[in-house]
Amino acid sequence: MMRKTLLVASCAAALAGFTSPTAAEARSDGVLTVATVGEPPTLDAMQTPTDIVLTIDQHIFETLFTYDAEWKSVPLLAAAMPEVSEDGLTYRIGLREGVKFHDGSAFDSEDVVASLSRWMSVNSKGKQVASVVESVAKDGEHAIVIKLKSRYAPLLATLSQASIIIPSEKVADTLTDFIGTGPYALKERKPDQYTQLVRFEAYKSPEGEASNYAGKREAIAKEIRFVPVPDANTRVEGLISGQFDYADALPVSAFERVEASDSAGPVIFENAGWASLNMNMKEGVLTKKALRQAVQVALNPSDMMLAAFSDERFFSVDGSIFPEGFLWHTEEGIARYGEGDPEAAAALIEEGGYDGTPIRLLTSRQYEFHYKIGEVAKAYLGAAGFKVDLEVVDWATLTTRRADPKQWDIFITHSNFPGDPTTINTITDSYPGWYVSDQKAKAVAAYMAAADQDQKIKAWQGIQAVIYDDAPLVKVGNFNALAGVSKSIPDYTPTYWPHFWNVTPKK
Amino acid sequence: MLKISQALLHRLGGMVIVLALVVTVVFIIVRVTPGDPAAVMLGSDATPEDIAQLRAKMGLDAPLIAQYAQFVLGILKGDLGQSIFLGQPVAQALAERAEPTFFLTLFSILIAVVIALPVGIFSAVKRGTPFDQVVVTLTMVAASIPSFWLGLMLIQVFAVGQGWFPASGYGGPDTSFVERLNHLVLPAAALGIVNSALITRFTRAAMLDVLGEDYVRTARAKGAGEGRVILKHALKNALIPIITVIGLSIAMLVAGAVVTETVFGLPGIGNLVVSAVLRRDYPVIQGTLLVVAAIYVLINFVVDMLYMIVDPRVRQ
Repeated sequence: MMRKTLLVASCAAALAGFTSPTAAEARSDGVLTVATVGEPPTLDAMQTPTDIVLTIDQHIFETLFTYDAEWKSVPLLAAAMPEVSEDGLTYRIGLREGVKFHDGSAFDSEDVVASLSRWMSVNSKGKQVASVVESVAKDGEHAIVIKLKSRYAPLLATLSQASIIIPSEKVADTLTDFIGTGPYALKERKPDQYTQLVRFEAYKSPEGEASNYAGKREAIAKEIRFVPVPDANTRVEGLISGQFDYADALPVSAFERVEASDSAGPVIFENAGWASLNMNMKEGVLTKKALRQAVQVALNPSDMMLAAFSDERFFSVDGSIFPEGFLWHTEEGIARYGEGDPEAAAALIEEGGYDGTPIRLLTSRQYEFHYKIGEVAKAYLGAAGFKVDLEVVDWATLTTRRADPKQWDIFITHSNFPGDPTTINTITDSYPGWYVSDQKAKAVAAYMAAADQDQKIKAWQGIQAVIYDDAPLVKVGNFNALAGVSKSIPDYTPTYWPHFWNVTPKK
Repeated sequence: MLKISQALLHRLGGMVIVLALVVTVVFIIVRVTPGDPAAVMLGSDATPEDIAQLRAKMGLDAPLIAQYAQFVLGILKGDLGQSIFLGQPVAQALAERAEPTFFLTLFSILIAVVIALPVGIFSAVKRGTPFDQVVVTLTMVAASIPSFWLGLMLIQVFAVGQGWFPASGYGGPDTSFVERLNHLVLPAAALGIVNSALITRFTRAAMLDVLGEDYVRTARAKGAGEGRVILKHALKNALIPIITVIGLSIAMLVAGAVVTETVFGLPGIGNLVVSAVLRRDYPVIQGTLLVVAAIYVLINFVVDMLYMIVDPRVRQ
C-alpha cells in the first residue's frame, strides 16, 4: 500500500476566496516543525487511538464533539448539543453545514453514519458503545439520530475522541486514504522521517473562543511537519538549536537546560496523566480483597512519585482519581491512600491469609517512571511483609503478559484523564485485571442512568468509593508533562494532545 | 585458476547455508520473544478480544509452521513480506532507508581510514617516540568512547553551539540531496572517530610486525627510499589484518549503527531494526536481518577475495 502521498490540492484554489480578511491576514507561509516521541503506527485513529496518533490526527480529522477547557464535550462537527428525548434513549444530533472534506466532497449525515458504524466495529470504546446502541440513522442531510437500548451517560464523551468522521466512500476495513475535515490535510508521510500536513484552505472553523480543543480553529502555519525523534536528548538539543519549533515529552532533567536557553522555553502541561498499579483480580495471590487492600495501604505514593519524577514541579499526590480542578475531583472513599502504613498492611495481610507466594510485579523501562515506581513499590511491599518479584520487561512484552491472568499479579501503567470518568480502562470488565464486582456494576449502572450533570457527579463519587473498596488498582499520583517550544512562537497553548492550529510560526 | 574457482564456489555455498540458518533462527527468535504486534498497535486501551481480532486479521493466529513456510516461499520469490506498522512492503521500507545508511557507512569509513592509515603507519615507524605514545593513548580513549555519547557532544558543540549542522533527522520534504548529506556530517564524524581508533591500532600493530622483517631490512640495504620501503614493502605486507578490520568495520556499520542512528534520528536501517523490534513488526525484523546478514557475508566474501589479490600465498 502506498501511504506516501495524498495530495490535497483539488478544492483549495476554488474555495480560497471564502477566507475572511482577518483570517487571511493571520495566515503565514511559515512551517511548524514538531519533534514527536516516535513514528505513529498508523494514522487510523479509530483502530489505534494512541497519544501519538491522536496528536497528529486531530489536525486532519474531526469528531462530532470535542473537549473544552473543562473537559466537557461541546460541538465540533455537530451544529449544537444534541436534542435528547425525555427517556434519554434518543439523541438527535444536528450537523454543521458547508463543511468540506479535504477531497472537496461535502460533509453530511451519510458520512457520519458510515464513520460511526466503522468506529463501533473497530474501536475499543466504540465497541462498548455499540453494545448499547440500537441504531444510528440519517435524519435528512444534516442530522443523525442515535437510538440507545439503555441510557448511556458517557455517549458524548466517547463521540469526542477517536470517533473521527471520514467520507462515507472512504470507509473501509483498512483505511488507505486519510481524508478528514480538519484544518490541515495530509500531504505526505515518510515513515520514521516525517508526516507533512498542509493548510486546508477551504476549512470551515467552528464558532466561539478557542478553549482546549473547542472553539475557533485557524490554520495559521502553511505547513506542519511532525518529525519522529525517539531519543529524548536529541529532542532537547534539536529544540535548543532551533531545528524544532516544538519538542514533545522531554525528560524532566532537561527543564533547567531548556529554561536557560535563549531560543526555547519549557512548557509544563499540568495533570497530563496518572500512574497506577493494576492488580489481577482473576487469578493469583491478589484475588483476595484483603490482600489488595493491604497493597493499597502499604504503599507510599509520595515516595514513588518523587523517585519517578525527581522534582515536585512535575507531579502531585492526590487520592482522588481525578485531580483538583477537574469536574470529577472527589475525595470519596480514599481513606487507604496515604503515606504507607506497614503495620496496617501487615494486619490486612494476616486477615487475607497470605501464604508467602511472591507477588509478580510487572514493569517496563520503556517508561522509566514505571520502573522507578516499581522499585519503590517493591521496597514498601517488602516492608509490609509481601514477597515481591519485580519483573522488568519491555512494553510490548508487558502488554502480552498482562493479557494472561496466569502470568502476573500487578502491572504498572499510566493513563490520561478522560472526558468521562467511566471510560477509565479499569472500569471495563475485560481490561487486564478483570475487575468484576456487583457493587461496581451497581455503581456504574447508576452513572449510566444519570440524567444530568449533578446526578453524574454524585454517581461518579459512588464509583470511586467502590473502586477504593474493591481495590482493583492503586492510584500512585498525577504527573505533569514537559515539552519545549521555540521562543519565536508567541501563541502556543498547551493541551494534552498538543495541537498547532491557532499557532503562528516564526517568520 | 581452478583452485580459485573452487574456492569461490565453496564460499558461495557457505553463504547460502549461512543465510538459510539466519532465516530460520531469526524466525524462531522473533516468534518466541514475548510481545505482540497487535497489542503494540492497538495501544494500552485495547482489550484481549481486540488484540485477538487484530492478530487474526494479520494472520498471526496461523500455525507457526504455516507462517514459516509462507515466509520462506516469499523469500524464494523475492518477497520479504509486508510491514505490519509501516503499511508498505519490507523491501520498499529497506530501500527507503538504504540511502542514509549507505552514505553514513561510506562517510564514516572514509573518515576512519583517512585518519587511521597515516596515523597508524607513522606511529609504527616512530615507535616509542612521544608521538607514538600520544597516538596509543588517544586511540585507547577513542575506542572506549561510546559513539552515542560522542554523538551527543558533537550535537552540543556543532549543532547547538555553532549552528553549523542540524541536530538530527534527514531533512524534510523539500530538502535537496546535498542538504540531506549535511545531516550525516555529525553522525559520520562520531562513528568515524570511534572506528578510526580501532583501525589505527590494527594498522600500527600490523606495521610493527612487518617493519622488523628481513625483506624490509633488505629493501633498505638495497638503498630504497624510506617512503618506498614503508608503502611498498612494509604496508603491502601488513594489509591483510588492516583489510580485515576495515571490512569488519563496514559490516558493523551497515548493521550496527543502531545507536548512532537513533541518537541522530536518522531514518536508516539500524533505526528501522530498533523500531521494528520495539513494535514487534515481525516481517520487518525478519526481512531486515536477512538483508543485513546477506550484506555481512558479502562483505566477508569481498574481504576474502581481496586477500587473494594482495597476498599471492592465499591464491595458492
